[in-house]
Order: sequence, then C-alpha cells, then structure tokens
Amino acid sequence: MSNRDGDRDIPRSISVALFFLLFSLALHASEYLISYQYTVKDAILYNESLQIAKSMKKCKGIAYNPIIFKTQDSKNLEKIINTDRERFIEYIHKLGLYLKHSETTSNAVNSSMTFLTLKTTCFKVDFNDTFVRISPLK
Amino acid sequence: MKNLSVLLVLLGVTSLFAATQNTVIVPTDSLQDKTQTETITVDYPAYKKQNNMVLKANKKILISVLGQGVAPVNTSSPAQAYALAKRAAVADAYRLIAEKVKGVRVDGQDLVKNMMVKRSTVRTSVAAMVRHANIVETTFKDGLCQIEMEIEISHDQFQ
Repeated sequence: MSNRDGDRDIPRSISVALFFLLFSLALHASEYLISYQYTVKDAILYNESLQIAKSMKKCKGIAYNPIIFKTQDSKNLEKIINTDRERFIEYIHKLGLYLKHSETTSNAVNSSMTFLTLKTTCFKVDFNDTFVRISPLK
Repeated sequence: MKNLSVLLVLLGVTSLFAATQNTVIVPTDSLQDKTQTETITVDYPAYKKQNNMVLKANKKILISVLGQGVAPVNTSSPAQAYALAKRAAVADAYRLIAEKVKGVRVDGQDLVKNMMVKRSTVRTSVAAMVRHANIVETTFKDGLCQIEMEIEISHDQFQ
C-alpha cells in the first residue's frame, strides 16, 4: 500500500514497530517449573519444600487462574515468591494438592504420615516493571 | 375364559422377555380391566444406582471437617509455632475430607503365637486429589491449631 508520494513506508513501519513491541513483550514472559511438597508426621510438620526452576523447554497449555505479586523491578522469581511465601502457598493449595496418608496402629501405639504434593507444574510468568503475573498452564 | 388365558400367556411371555432385557413392566389402571398393557423400558441398574447414590444430580453436598495440628517443641517464636501447626492442621483437614469423600483402605494383621496375641496391627491409608477446599475458621491454643475446613461437592464434578 502506497501513500500519495508512492512510498510504502507508513504501514510497514507500523507493522515493524508492532512486531518489535510484541517481541519485546514476549521476551519478558517466561516459563517456570514449580513443585511443592510437605510432610506431616504424627500431626507435626516434618518437612516442606518448594522448588522453583526455569523451564529449559517450551511448555504447552493455556494459562488460567493467575496470581499477581508486586515487585521492585526484580526478575528473580524465587526471591519474589519468598517475599510473600504464605500467599503463594495458599494459592497452591487452591490449585489442588495430591494427598497421601497412611496410619499404623500397632499394639495401641499410633503413628501417621501425610504427604501433600503439588506435582511439578509449568507456570507462565510475566514480568513487568511493578508486578509479576504467575499462572499455571493446563 | 379362553381369551383371558391367552392374554395371561401373552403377559407371561412379555414379562419373561422384559426380564432378560432389564425392563420393568408398569401395571396401569387399564391393565386391571385386561384390555391393554403399557411397558416402560427402564435401565434397571442405572435406576437403582441413581436411587442409592448419596450425591444426587443438581444437588450439592457441603462437607465440613476439623483438622488438628501440633506445633513442634523446638520453635524459635510463637509465630513460627503457629505457622507450622497450621500446616499440620491443614494436612489433617485434607486427609479427613479425602476419607469422607473417597473412603479409607484398612488392612489388619494379628500375630498369634502359642495361643497368645503377640502383635496387633491396623494400617489405614487414603490417597486423593483435593482442590477448592476453604478454610472457615482457625484457632490456636496451647500449641494446638484447629482448622475448620469446608468443601462443596456437586454431582457435575464426578461426570
């Protein structure tokens, strides 16, 4: 498409600018693998672990149910989550945890073990200047 | 009289056929004057299953449990004790929900030697996926954390 002078630069420049804008936004979106497990033994918390790692390959799926954290221009997800860890763990609980419980009573002596696990899940993370949006992929 | 006996034989044959096809013959008012019969085909196992089900279609069940957790002895602050006890209580509440919804596997073993019980063991276990459970109330007193948790279960979730 040309303008009156015969130049084709105006629409092309807009498309190029849009391409670079979208590409730069895409650069800030990344995917992380997060897993969480905690163990309760005899009604006492025994072990808890939250693992966060950047995904080395592209994840498939649609993002749903996002959570937003405020940041100070930080790109370290582990650090961001640890600033409000309780809220993130509550959010993980809402997503759903796999429960495994076993209890043994031997000669009237009882012992129990409960495992709650979030299996390794891919999360899409969008970093912005003041906040970060984390959403699991399904 | 002859007509009546023919009708009865026909009825017998129809009912025999219906029984093999899992159908139920519903007697109607018109059946009483022996002029016609109405047969409604019912999927009998499904009908029976529907009637015995706890969770009926278009109805929701609210399950409420009380989970308990204890704080460890060696905590550095009361806040830490609370946080740890709460985690344990949440796990207990989840376990109770799973037990109510999915059921518990129970294994028992008794060891008898020289006519005496040496060891009696009962093992219970449950495994489930729990999501959308809500904490209603939390209390923490004397190192014991109690959590009231609710979950709403509908028929559609199990389709």
